[in-house]
Amino acid sequence: MTALLLGALGLTLSLLVPRPLARARWTARVPAAAVALWQAITLAAVLSAVGVVLAAPEELVRATGRGAEAALIGALAVAAVIVVRLLWCLGGVMYRSRARRERHRTLVDLLDRAERRAGLTDEVRVLDGPLPFAYCLPGRSPRVVVSDGALQVLTAEQVAAVIAHEQAHLRRRHDLVTESFTAFHRAVPRPLRSRRPLDAVHLLLEMLADDAARRAHGDAALRDALTTMGDATTTPETDGGRDEQAERRRRLERLRPGAPGPDRRLAAAVLAAAAGVLVLPTVFLVVPWLDTALGNWPL
Amino acid sequence: MAGLGDLERDVMAQLWDAGEPLTVRQVFDRLSRERDLAYTTVMTVLDRLAKKGVVTQERADRAYRYAATQTREEMTAALMLDALSSAPDGAARDAALAHFVGRVGPDGAAALSRALEAARNRA
Ligand SMILES: [Zn+2]
Repeated sequence: MTALLLGALGLTLSLLVPRPLARARWTARVPAAAVALWQAITLAAVLSAVGVVLAAPEELVRATGRGAEAALIGALAVAAVIVVRLLWCLGGVMYRSRARRERHRTLVDLLDRAERRAGLTDEVRVLDGPLPFAYCLPGRSPRVVVSDGALQVLTAEQVAAVIAHEQAHLRRRHDLVTESFTAFHRAVPRPLRSRRPLDAVHLLLEMLADDAARRAHGDAALRDALTTMGDATTTPETDGGRDEQAERRRRLERLRPGAPGPDRRLAAAVLAAAAGVLVLPTVFLVVPWLDTALGNWPL
Repeated sequence: MAGLGDLERDVMAQLWDAGEPLTVRQVFDRLSRERDLAYTTVMTVLDRLAKKGVVTQERADRAYRYAATQTREEMTAALMLDALSSAPDGAARDAALAHFVGRVGPDGAAALSRALEAARNRA
């Protein structure tokens, strides 16, 4: 019974919940709590899968009364495979991202037009070229890269807002959040894989960085920068399913005058839901099962 | 005194601006117009840049000459492509860099590749 319930929970969390949650508009008002909810859902789905693998053989053995040792070894082996695969994916994603950033940083530092970044913080690097863009390179010695094109089309206030946005990504280590969701995405077997959590969390992290930038430099500066740069760099096509234009629209929506602001009550409710997703199944399913299972298993 | 990183950047700028291979002495002469530095420091920096693969060393007329492996335009375009374009390995790229707005879509990536090609042909 426990295995069935955990299986149902895992499938609900990984197949049914992501679509409505990714589409929901209220998450834009509580991006930090919404990221926590995505993390809780993802972790709970993984734990459910491990729980099914451990509980199903045990319950089968208890029902039929045969093959206890083989079932125990098999269950532990499959659970170990799931956990190792996740950690392996996480290690791979982190290693590759770091190597790529390292090389990228070396080249950015060499190409930097230092004379054009007077008055900007030390970690900023300026690249030649008319295309307006900005991005950040996370890591131990982080960089914010701004193109000369961006410096040309943006006002000083807008440049400051863009840099504040990138610095928020760096200071709050959004890269670690993205990396863990990327690793989870890759660890899931292909037929079950969905980009939805990854893309939804990506957008929420952008909103969090936007909030840091608007607190420091105002809504208007950020909104204008987003409009100006987005028009120049994004194309209507979507690739890999992520719709850049839609993302930008949703970021701009919340910067409009009169747009609903942060909502503390909603944030508290969402955080409670995140905690509940992790705690409730543990208390009501896993602990009672462990109680009986530990008595029956040939330990 | 400026850090080694700043010096590496300025040495690269000299090589790019010169447009032809330079000896250590030539790089040293150009740089020491603006600042106080040791000849051996320039040697060290060129060696480091060669190890990073951005500078090649060639022997001509009994002297070693150094040149950038790519023009500034080429290297900038390649870097922008790396930062902004979408790649087959989409998920891993998302994890490496975060952008203010989007990536360059397939059209933009194609335009950048053409710019890169054009820069290479000019060289
Ligand atoms: Zn961002």
